[in-house]
Amino acid sequence: MTTIRVSNVSKAFGEVHAVRDVSFEVYPGEIFGLLGPNGAGKTTTIRMMLDIFRPDSGSIEVFDGPLTEAKKNRIGYMPEERGLYKDLKLAPTLVFLATLKGVKESVARERVDEWLERFDLADYAKQKIQNLSKGMQQKAQIIVTLLHDPDLLVIDEPFSGLDPVNTRLVKSIIEELCARGKTIIMSTHQMYQVEAMCNRIVLINRGRNVLYGEVQQIKRQFAGNALQVEGEADFDALPGVLEARRHNGAWHLALETGRDPQAVLQALAQQAGARIQKFEVAEPSLEDIFVATVQQAAEETPSYA
Amino acid sequence: MRNLWLIAKHEYLKVAGKKSFVLGTLGMPVLMVVVTAISILMTAGGRGRLPFGYVDHAGLLIDPVVPPSAMGESAATFRAFPDVAAAEAALEDGDIQALYIVPHDYMATGEIELRYLTREPSLITRDDFRALLRANLLANYDPLIRERVIAGSSITIRAADGSREFAEDNFLDFMIPFVAAFLFVFAVMNAGGYMLQAVTDEKENRTVEVLATSVRPEELIGGKAIGLIGVGLTQLAIWGATAVAGLIVASFFIPMPASFSIPWSLLAVVSLFFLPAYALIAGMMTAIGGIVTDFQQGQQISGILNLLFMLPFFFVMVILSRPDNPVVIALTLFPPSAFVTITMRWATTVVPLWQLVTSWLLLVASAIFSVWAASRIFRAGMLRYGQTVNVKAVFAALRKPVQ
Repeated sequence: MTTIRVSNVSKAFGEVHAVRDVSFEVYPGEIFGLLGPNGAGKTTTIRMMLDIFRPDSGSIEVFDGPLTEAKKNRIGYMPEERGLYKDLKLAPTLVFLATLKGVKESVARERVDEWLERFDLADYAKQKIQNLSKGMQQKAQIIVTLLHDPDLLVIDEPFSGLDPVNTRLVKSIIEELCARGKTIIMSTHQMYQVEAMCNRIVLINRGRNVLYGEVQQIKRQFAGNALQVEGEADFDALPGVLEARRHNGAWHLALETGRDPQAVLQALAQQAGARIQKFEVAEPSLEDIFVATVQQAAEETPSYA
Repeated sequence: MRNLWLIAKHEYLKVAGKKSFVLGTLGMPVLMVVVTAISILMTAGGRGRLPFGYVDHAGLLIDPVVPPSAMGESAATFRAFPDVAAAEAALEDGDIQALYIVPHDYMATGEIELRYLTREPSLITRDDFRALLRANLLANYDPLIRERVIAGSSITIRAADGSREFAEDNFLDFMIPFVAAFLFVFAVMNAGGYMLQAVTDEKENRTVEVLATSVRPEELIGGKAIGLIGVGLTQLAIWGATAVAGLIVASFFIPMPASFSIPWSLLAVVSLFFLPAYALIAGMMTAIGGIVTDFQQGQQISGILNLLFMLPFFFVMVILSRPDNPVVIALTLFPPSAFVTITMRWATTVVPLWQLVTSWLLLVASAIFSVWAASRIFRAGMLRYGQTVNVKAVFAALRKPVQ
């Protein structure tokens, strides 16, 4: 049983191939990361999943079948390009959007009150949305996604614009929903959030699947592709280093796939002026894997544009 | 279907709750009442309280016959003076408003001299004096003949089958269609503006992507159109009620023509043409909203389209003088200008039945096409944030829906 099954889906807009032969499955009760650099085809994939666009080829199944109008009411969607009616009051807007998802108006009002309370927005219920801060609007948008108690949440950059307290709140709500058996598809560039929350991911780059599977398995697969180094040297100039990033006083080096860490150590030893206190092979972070995969693809494949 | 009505209700409450709508809806009757009141005051005060003087050198008004006054209104009163000096003294003393001098050779020239000090007598008082002269020129005729000559004749235009007629002398029969046409254009421009704003707002504030996962584009557009038709009907109901109330109040001050009756046929035509005309503008504005990137850009295009609805006003002289001119018939059949042209023609002639039927069918067909095309264009443009949909894409969307 799958919540979403995307099979060999492609979509082009004129000459631009936004998505090419993408496939993945999302299972009930999991938090699934839909990742990729800007313009990779994530939003187009999401829009195809939600029947906003139809794929040119391939197929998409939602809740084990084609997406029907009734099934749409089981989905909560927070798009990347988001917004609410600026000149309307907060609570009535939320009630209206919930009723469009099949919730009775009286029930919608009760749920709006509960969620506004939880997100600390109850005092702003009668305020016009344009008078709310960006963070408050973001919280309101999350409430819209949750009001009809969907079985599947598709959320694009859910933490954008939120302070650490509210980020934690949203994170805990997502985890609660997951514990209740809801499925969450999360698209974000915050890799540490993906690492902390997602069971599995798909990485789309230039419209194609480039990574797909369990987060831990992918990390094991990429072990040896990252180094932790303490000292001073021109790390960016080292052969096979895709990115050098300073973190907590140490340098974190993302390596090309298949690059031998010993070769990097030798190159470092030969670099004039290099002073090294510590050199160790690190487990790559998801961010390292993301950077390595995307940069490597950029070097190997010419642009589609 | 449920979502269609939810959107209609939402759109209705959103627009009807706007200050601009309340001001526009209530402001129009207030404006009409003010204009009517000013007209009544000007009409009532047009003759003034003082009499007019006259010196009759032609000997026509020695034993004056009082003419029948139009619609039973009280005409100006006239006082005879034996000579100009006495009349001018009365004018100086403020006993009369103005002085008419009928020369010896009036019968040959038709010339009359009018003298006044500060305030020129109004046109209606001059008409009163002309009527006085005419009545006395016919003093020796039967009073009925005299009255007929002064009042003239009234032509009633009637359709061959006798189903519709129009009486020339009934000023309300003339006025009401023009007022209806004006109110319609005002309502259409309002509704068009609201529709455009409703569509562009959702694109600008990105709500459309959330809505797209809850409702079909047809439901979204249909709901908006129904909501705005409700807004238009509310507006017209308020204006109509005000007009009826205004007529009732005015009847206490101005005698209504005896032949006046509620123009049921006009009401029937207005009702038949109103909904498709509204649907047409709703579709056109939705399509514009789908194409443009923001409201301002949409307003520029909609301004041009609004002109199509106002086109008959540019041809008002032709419609009044030659209501069956080919240009006027073309305007009657052209869907955007049909409503206004027909209501304006209603004021001056009997519109042939074939033109009414053809015009209505064309309007309904264009309204259906407009809403259908709008939903396709809207779907093509709804997710193009910050991008205008070009003509090529519009035609592509009309040929095949964007998926």
